[in-house]
Amino acid sequence: MRTTRRSALRLGIGALAVAVTGGCATGGGKKAAAKSVSTQTQVAGSITVWSWDVAAKALKRLAPAFEQQHPGVKVNVVDIGYDNAYDKITVGLKSGAGLPDVLQVEGFKMQSYIGTFPSGFYDLSALAAQYKAQFNAAAWATGTDSAGKVYALPWDVGPCGVFYRTDIFQQAGVDPASIRTWDDYIAAGVQIKAKTGKKLLVVDPTGDSTFPMMLQQEGQGYFVDDKIAVATPAAVTAMTLMKQLNDKGLVDYEKGWDALVASNKDGKVATAPTAVWWSGTLTDEMPELKGKFSVMPLPAFTAGGVRTSNNGGSLLTVSAQSKNSATAWAFIQFALANSDNQVSMLKNEGIFPAFEPALSDPYITGPQDYYGGQTTFKTFADLTKDIPPIQYTGDYSKASDLVTDATNSVMQGGKDPKSALDSAARQIASATNRQIAQ
Amino acid sequence: MAIPTHPASGPAPAERPPEIHTAAQAPPPRSPLPPSPLPPSATRLRAAGRTRRRPRVVHWAFAGPAAALFVVFFAYPLGASLYQSFTNDDGGTQTWAGLAQYRRMLHDPVFWKSLWNTGLILVFQVPLMICIALVLACVLNQSWLRFKGTWRIAFFLPSVTMLVAYAVVFRVLLKTDGGMVNQALGWFGVSPVDWLNNPVWARVSLIGTITWRWTGYNAVILLAGLQSIPREQYEAAAIDGAGAVTTFRKVVVPQLRPVILFCSITSTIGTLQLFDENFVLTKGGPDNATMTPVLYLYKVGFDQMDFSYASAIAWAVVLIIGVLSVIQFRFFGQSDRAASTARSERRRG
Repeated sequence: MRTTRRSALRLGIGALAVAVTGGCATGGGKKAAAKSVSTQTQVAGSITVWSWDVAAKALKRLAPAFEQQHPGVKVNVVDIGYDNAYDKITVGLKSGAGLPDVLQVEGFKMQSYIGTFPSGFYDLSALAAQYKAQFNAAAWATGTDSAGKVYALPWDVGPCGVFYRTDIFQQAGVDPASIRTWDDYIAAGVQIKAKTGKKLLVVDPTGDSTFPMMLQQEGQGYFVDDKIAVATPAAVTAMTLMKQLNDKGLVDYEKGWDALVASNKDGKVATAPTAVWWSGTLTDEMPELKGKFSVMPLPAFTAGGVRTSNNGGSLLTVSAQSKNSATAWAFIQFALANSDNQVSMLKNEGIFPAFEPALSDPYITGPQDYYGGQTTFKTFADLTKDIPPIQYTGDYSKASDLVTDATNSVMQGGKDPKSALDSAARQIASATNRQIAQ
Repeated sequence: MAIPTHPASGPAPAERPPEIHTAAQAPPPRSPLPPSPLPPSATRLRAAGRTRRRPRVVHWAFAGPAAALFVVFFAYPLGASLYQSFTNDDGGTQTWAGLAQYRRMLHDPVFWKSLWNTGLILVFQVPLMICIALVLACVLNQSWLRFKGTWRIAFFLPSVTMLVAYAVVFRVLLKTDGGMVNQALGWFGVSPVDWLNNPVWARVSLIGTITWRWTGYNAVILLAGLQSIPREQYEAAAIDGAGAVTTFRKVVVPQLRPVILFCSITSTIGTLQLFDENFVLTKGGPDNATMTPVLYLYKVGFDQMDFSYASAIAWAVVLIIGVLSVIQFRFFGQSDRAASTARSERRRG
């Protein structure tokens, strides 16, 4: 049934994968120490930056000011699009060619890259040390390896809370202040569904971020002390919570980003437990719902427990292929370790700074029009300090894929949380040769 | 790449030596291959060799670029990926791992599920599609049908639409809320079906999608086969009093056997290489219900950055395609070859 054209495409994909892998077989795989950026070199010449979406927009906006500070310097920001971003970066790292000077990478992915391509990035340890105290600790951890070497500077951080529809809560007669634990949250969801027919939250089965968010809230990632920790009691607790949400009929399943947004915009769900950057989506995509949203911290697992987590957050890093690393680093410093620029990126592009001095800016502590004059960003700024740092390791991507499978088998396949997570842990163990934490 | 060469090319080498010894000339230039080491007895031979040298340079001048491209973009990556499938990527360092990746595959439930899914599609979709294509081809072949060209184009068109574009269209059609399929079902009082989020329906959707795309393509190929059946055979069947069904069973299907074989082999290979449709429609979900080996390979390689394991999966797929193709050849091809030898013997006799 398949044309030769189709087979050719297959071969193309195969050949690409193979070519990529082949590159490593011959030379890319040498375990070289990461290069260090020389502090002596002058800031000059031109650099290219790969980024995407609003992040690229932000850097494009900031670039002229940097060029003005350093006459003759040219910053070329390329929006490579999120869908292909990691394929492109991975191919570049694997083949050892074709990468720009500066790369945007998300925190969890950075850890996978550091693990797989330790010599793919400049070692920024000496230069970045001065900023360590000023950046959010959880975000900082995503750009450093287990030995403490720094490969990237944190950009934004994703403190989590619950965005909720005040009108739906009112209609259902639920007092948001009464929600302190996840049990309260489920009880509220049941009441909302009974009174209004609305579900509680939307989950994307192909890339769920709710489970890892809950897990980090409990102070744990997929790895603890380099061991696989996806089947620990904390993980089983979080997965059981996911199953309860599903079994009570409170989850709306939607695939892909646009569908997630549409589900919220159409008012199919009453809440969105997610990170602060969701605010940018609300103001951009649902201006008509202005005044109908409010924010509360995440419900805790036990009364008085941690009420936030992290979801998302990017870094900027200097590619080892850069011929102009000094300028690349100067630009990263300019964009990220600078309160004014960070606040302007929150104002214009909704990027919430990981640079803590920026969090005391009046814009962040002040009232927000969209939320009916509430100090929404202040809520998140306060929560940022409570985000539990977790370990990612270079095998995060493998673990993440398998945990997503486990989440689906629990939520949609009706599997028991403990046995699904045990099976995921075993698979991760066979894929990574790591031990399973008890 | 895995399609076996035509079985007829088997006995060729055996014919060669006698040619050289009996006729003391250079063998007829059947292929651009360099001559095999010939007995250096006659000077004539050497002279012949010298005259052949120049054309060989010309051969390579023409074939060279293609050969170079083949080596760079095909042979080298192929070899590299085979090598890589025997290694372990440990923090950027390649270490020899022997069969470790293949052993891991044996215990990988996702890999087995992807094969199981492929098996389901093979068992349900391929025969279904070829049956529909055969019926379509027969209808398109009827003399009473008007606007033949239009029909053929209409049925063939799906196979040349962009893979991603058609998958995106189906995603919109099959949306649970407000998708056109569910809307249409709603007119008949059927409650919305969760096409892409329910494991069973996701498989049904995937099978439907592939069938839509490839049935017309196969129908056109079968139609070409149908048109090569001589008119006399239909007439003879009619004279013998065969009805439409008997003619179809006793004349059309046996004559079409090689074409059906071609269709089913290419369909099998295509199914084993399924990627775009489930990548766009379901990303292999829900709960890996629509995961296929190639999509899994992509996920392992590019999401999980485990290139060694991805290479091993790629070679496993190559192996499976090879084995299935051989089986199909044996199974379908046997009776076909038997028929053709019987025919030629009859001719000889």
